[in-house]
Amino acid sequence: MSRKASGFKAWAWQRITAVYIGLFGVYLLSSLLCAAPETYTAWQAWFTGPVMRVTTLLFVLAILLHAWVGIRDICIDYVKPIAVRASLLLMLALSLILYGLWAAQLLLR
Amino acid sequence: MQFLISRYNPETDDKPHMQAFEVDVQRGMMLRDALLDIKRQDESFAFRHSCGEGVCGSDGVNVNGSNKLACITPISELKTPIEVRPFPGRPIIRDLVVDMTQFYEQYKKVDPWLVRKEPAPEQEVLQSPEDRDKLDGLYECILCGCCSTSCPSFWWNPDKFLGPQALLSSWRFLADSRDQATDERLDQLEDPYKMFRCHTIMNCVESCPKGLNPTKAIGNIKNLMIKKAV
Amino acid sequence: MALAKRRFDALIIGAGGAGLNAAIQLADTNLQVAVVSKVFPTRSHTVAAQGGVNAALANVSDDSWHWHMFDTVKGSDYLGDQDAIEFMCREAIPTVYELEHNGVPFSRLENGTIYQRAFGGQSQNFGGAQASRTCAAADRTGHAILHALYQQNVRARTHFFDEFFAVELLRDDEGAILGALVLEIETGEPLLIEAKSTILATGGCGQVYRTTSNAHINTGDGMALALRAGAPLMDMEFYQFHPTGIAGKGMLITEGVRGEGGYLVNKDGERFMERYAPNAKDLASRDVVSRAIVTEVKEGRGCGPKSDHVMLKVDHLGEEIISKRLPGIRESGKIFAGVDAVVEPLPVFPTAHYIMGGILTDRYGRVLTDQNDTIMPGLYAAGECACVSVHGANRLGGNSLLDILVFGRAAGLNVLNNTPASHRKLTDSAIQSAMARLERWDQTGTGLSVRELRDEFRRTMEDHAGVFRTEVIMQEGVNKLLALRDKLPDVRLQDHSRVFNTGRIEALELENLFDCGIAMAVSALHRQESRGAHSRPDYPERDDANWMKHSLYYRAEDRMDYKPVTTEPLSVDSFPPKVRTY
Repeated sequence: MSRKASGFKAWAWQRITAVYIGLFGVYLLSSLLCAAPETYTAWQAWFTGPVMRVTTLLFVLAILLHAWVGIRDICIDYVKPIAVRASLLLMLALSLILYGLWAAQLLLR
Repeated sequence: MQFLISRYNPETDDKPHMQAFEVDVQRGMMLRDALLDIKRQDESFAFRHSCGEGVCGSDGVNVNGSNKLACITPISELKTPIEVRPFPGRPIIRDLVVDMTQFYEQYKKVDPWLVRKEPAPEQEVLQSPEDRDKLDGLYECILCGCCSTSCPSFWWNPDKFLGPQALLSSWRFLADSRDQATDERLDQLEDPYKMFRCHTIMNCVESCPKGLNPTKAIGNIKNLMIKKAV
Repeated sequence: MALAKRRFDALIIGAGGAGLNAAIQLADTNLQVAVVSKVFPTRSHTVAAQGGVNAALANVSDDSWHWHMFDTVKGSDYLGDQDAIEFMCREAIPTVYELEHNGVPFSRLENGTIYQRAFGGQSQNFGGAQASRTCAAADRTGHAILHALYQQNVRARTHFFDEFFAVELLRDDEGAILGALVLEIETGEPLLIEAKSTILATGGCGQVYRTTSNAHINTGDGMALALRAGAPLMDMEFYQFHPTGIAGKGMLITEGVRGEGGYLVNKDGERFMERYAPNAKDLASRDVVSRAIVTEVKEGRGCGPKSDHVMLKVDHLGEEIISKRLPGIRESGKIFAGVDAVVEPLPVFPTAHYIMGGILTDRYGRVLTDQNDTIMPGLYAAGECACVSVHGANRLGGNSLLDILVFGRAAGLNVLNNTPASHRKLTDSAIQSAMARLERWDQTGTGLSVRELRDEFRRTMEDHAGVFRTEVIMQEGVNKLLALRDKLPDVRLQDHSRVFNTGRIEALELENLFDCGIAMAVSALHRQESRGAHSRPDYPERDDANWMKHSLYYRAEDRMDYKPVTTEPLSVDSFPPKVRTY
């Protein structure tokens, strides 16, 4: 993690991911409200389309990135001891990566 | 009327305590007048003040939980009991006097002066009235510290987060059509602490006695960064 | 215990416009310069100047420095020194451009040049039509200038001693100034600052009066320091009462209000200035307008339940002009008078504002000790605490910021060009006599309080050295003041703590106020004529034959001496005294 990159870029990524999460969320919600798939097969069909796979994966990645910046911000604000902060951030990073891999595995198989 | 005043003399006290004073309040009296009256009752009471009209920025104090300039705060607008404390989050030197060094240091970090790279013309550098209007709401800052010392982000990271005052000053120069150091100023703020600790809590806006809006200034800086990035 | 000691090439006492403009000349050189200020620099009272700074830029009306010079000489009631006035009016133009380059956010005209407004006593063509000569940043010009100067000093890494109080000048047996004894307010510890040159730039002494536009800090410290070091104070009887302070409070309403088209009315709604100054009306010079207001009130035409003030009408200008050009006074009116200037007129009455007199200096800022222009080695003064003299018996609005900037700069440059190679030897006796002043306040026991004596002193000054002055009133005033001064040694502090002891600072300031106040009262008693701000009903006329001379007050035995007015300018013809009408 380069120290230089983490000011403006972090903030900008947080904003960009927020926009994507918002847009995709609206699409997901409105689809479910208007024409929710009624059977498992319909669900599967909906989510196995290549466009849907990629956009959903991006959605998950956006949430992870957004969470990373947000929680990192909280750590920077309140967790002063460098060792504690580093281990917290490391744990956070590991769990976010795990979530990401799990999502990828689900979406790409 | 009773006033509760935070007292602390480092030569005799371990920690601050509240002391009650009776002040005969007249119509139109400002909080500073009451503090002056208390000073008359007790020579040892210390607080900073000077101009008495809200331009020198000396007498910022915390009244009933909000940061205000004593000289332009009418007593009639305050809820009783009136409790006066020093600015929160700053080391107390004595009574209502706090150490503002860190606040001034942050101000100095934004290079708060006009930078011109071209040689100065023989006359004034021209500026249209529209461009000059962009400085309104920025240059009027009196460095009283009400904003920064009411900002939780500044409480947590007073050494690294510049605070609303310094960021307002930074934007004051970024917004000046005569200034020629935009890139340098923006680059300086590229760090997770200096500006990005602002979480738009907006205590600064609420406490500014001059009605200025540091949160908006910070937003403007971010927008300018985006503009420069794309 | 050994005293802490620091050494600098130059020491500047005071961080207002004059001090900071002197500092900026030195900070970018290889000289070591220290600025001592009893408050953080941007709290200095320059910050409160509203209307603007005069310079014949001719951005709005046709103008020339020579006309500016004429107006200043006339405004001074021919007591100003014409060489210094010429110098100041010429320097005004580059000075304002330099300020602009230093970042001052001046208001602008459509073509992008600096906005200039009309102010009192300004004319084109030597007494002709009204000129617009006052360069303004809305009605916060002093604030804009002070902050820009401080910012430039931050850039140049000037060494500041913030919240240090100058106790006494250090003076050797030959009368040379070697620096100053200062007190760090936060710790209460004394510190010796040795300097080859010392510039006093401590501002005015309005706190000698009860109702004043001046800040709590304006206690005439520099004037008192110079006085005690043996220098005289010049023309101290000339104290300006600004016509428009908020009635009963004293906060200033800038002359710029009248410059933008506001005017004064009495209880009958009459625009009374038309009677006192048919041509200039509300923009007559300040002494004229102040006397007119006091006369109106005395003759029963005042406004309000006590008929004790007049009204300043602004509302006809409309909200747009008021909020663009006069936002600060609208704010002040609301806060302190409960009046919105956009809707109602503002209640005003003259308020103690500015001391034309001060430490006798030449136009290079060097402190002089007598009528033969003998220089006091190592000491300079600039700004309101100094008297060059450019304001003579009455200062024009907009010339104060100009004075502090031009002569602050001149003093700085002169220090730069004439700094001796080495420090003079600091003697023990110099240190001891300075320390004595500080140690005196360590005396314990019961006695008068600072507050009691200060209250009585200020009341006496207000009653006996106000706008109208007669022999009887003033003689009584001087007697009372001298009696009060005799009580000073009986004053005791009750709180002897060290850390941020503001009571101790106020005690030291009270001594300074006494020195200034007595200089003012004694000088006023002696001058038997009416000139500018010094108005004597018992001598109603200006007396050029006997009194076209500066008064010098010395602290030793309260002695008076006199010095001729310099009527010869540097390059142009002299303006001979004329009857002064507006």
